[in-house]
Amino acid sequence: MNDSLRVVLAMIELELRRLRNDRTEVFTRAVQPVLWLVVFGTVFSQLHAIPTSGIPYVDYITPGVMLQSVLFVAVLYGLTLVWERDTGILKKLLVAPAPRYATVIGRSMSSGVRAIIQVVIIIPVALLLGVSFIPNPAYFVAALAILFVISGGFAALSIIVASLLKTRERFMGIGQALILPLFFASNALYPIASMPRAIQIVAVFNPLTYAVDAVRGLMITGNLALLPLDVAVIALFDILMFAVASLSFRKIIE
Amino acid sequence: MTFAIDARGLEKVYKGNVAALAGVDLDVKAGDIFALLGPNGAGKTTLMRILTTQFKPTSGEAHIFDLDVVRDGAEVRKVIGYVPQETSVWSDINGYENLLIYAKIYGLPSRSRKDVIHDMLESMGLRAPAEHLVKTYSGGMVRKLEIACAMLIRPKILFLDEPTLGLDPAARIAVWEKLVSFKEEFGTTVFFSTHYMDEANAYSDEVAIINTGRMVTSGTADELKHSLRGELIKFSLSDHRVDEHTLGRIRGLEPVKSVVVTDSTLNVTVEDAETALPCVMDALRSEGIPVERITTTKPTLEDVFLWYAGTTRAPGAASSIGRVEGKAGGTRRE
Repeated sequence: MNDSLRVVLAMIELELRRLRNDRTEVFTRAVQPVLWLVVFGTVFSQLHAIPTSGIPYVDYITPGVMLQSVLFVAVLYGLTLVWERDTGILKKLLVAPAPRYATVIGRSMSSGVRAIIQVVIIIPVALLLGVSFIPNPAYFVAALAILFVISGGFAALSIIVASLLKTRERFMGIGQALILPLFFASNALYPIASMPRAIQIVAVFNPLTYAVDAVRGLMITGNLALLPLDVAVIALFDILMFAVASLSFRKIIE
Repeated sequence: MTFAIDARGLEKVYKGNVAALAGVDLDVKAGDIFALLGPNGAGKTTLMRILTTQFKPTSGEAHIFDLDVVRDGAEVRKVIGYVPQETSVWSDINGYENLLIYAKIYGLPSRSRKDVIHDMLESMGLRAPAEHLVKTYSGGMVRKLEIACAMLIRPKILFLDEPTLGLDPAARIAVWEKLVSFKEEFGTTVFFSTHYMDEANAYSDEVAIINTGRMVTSGTADELKHSLRGELIKFSLSDHRVDEHTLGRIRGLEPVKSVVVTDSTLNVTVEDAETALPCVMDALRSEGIPVERITTTKPTLEDVFLWYAGTTRAPGAASSIGRVEGKAGGTRRE
């Protein structure tokens, strides 16, 4: 257990060190979420088309856009394992005296580092658009923790997909095919109640829904009624993804 | 005698019934530098990845210092170091950081971590560029850094898959000096694959050649060279014909293995050219045959490689005779 924690922390540290030397990606990746807020958010708040139970629309979707950004970063990060198959790093990690699942969890969780950076970029943009966050540091830290943890689950999900693909060519298309359905079939942009029945069912099984609810509660609405459920679902999702990814990891290396 | 590697009947069949290994036996003595030679696709990398516990053999078994690579994988990983063929360091952090991250992954105690890393940087000559991003390193520096990472845990055996591929001659020598010093200083066993015959010749205690998933021969470089076909002495005879009687006489000489005449050249294959030359010369002289020029060719490890693993005929071999002898040598081993 100690061994595993050590490996996970080393990989998170690695990601922080890598980030220090290459910041361009941070900013190019920030373009998309900023557009969602500035263009989509402001236009739709003019329309008043979506019932948000009293909160301004930009405020409503800010947590959704944060999670979309987290999802995007995490899925692409996990898929880069396909890339690393061709380098020696993956092989060397497999031969390191550390449990294999720790490598998978470490890789997944370190996506959270990049995800949190994205969120940190989104916040000042949201503030400029007049979004009012709950001024409670404990809530804020809890929200970041949720974003960090769900990022690990999504990265593991994409490791599973990567282990099925094994080639770079299929890479980009699959990334989009994974991200967009999860994003649209969730409560990121509109409440579940306003969806058609079929999509509602998908949304209920979509872990993103629970993460959005938790972050929205902690950052914007202060409604934490479902927080325990949200946390439970996210934890379950992560554990399940880590377990399956550890098993399917074998396929990547052979 | 402790064996660093002891493998019996290793087979690996990939999906689609591609047999990468078809029954490999291997003994590597502890403290040796062992070279694995073989053409592309012979199974070198597959063998190395099984021995380093990256995946399981389809059948057969292998032990690293008496630890089973399948059952005791976690224990095996504590005593091995591995440098894959492809780059295995992160290029967007610096050399020191690479060692630091690997040290943490490997679980080096935090008290001694800094010292171990600094010693390693020092001994690999990477002290000065330690703070530079790895993407600015030359190929030789990257390889040295990778070896440094693998040596952090002071492994009992170091596996290297084509360690000097793409390096310039000076960098190759530098890498090998370090590997030899690890062997001498810590008794590290070094198991490496290569396409450079001169490296296998110069640095290895033992050599094995693998081809189409089987070990075709093994031994010291000298043993292999001798197993091939003795040495070749070429006599250029100034327009002189050698009659059957002379040929018979030379064939009858004790050290001579075979004789072939082509145009005005007499090719004599012997066990050892230095000692055989005087008595062949005596015979030629007493038959009154003037010799214009003598060249001797000793088989190189390259000849050995081509013989056992190549489709090309051993260069310099005395036509078909050498081939038959080589084949006999090959079958004898089986």
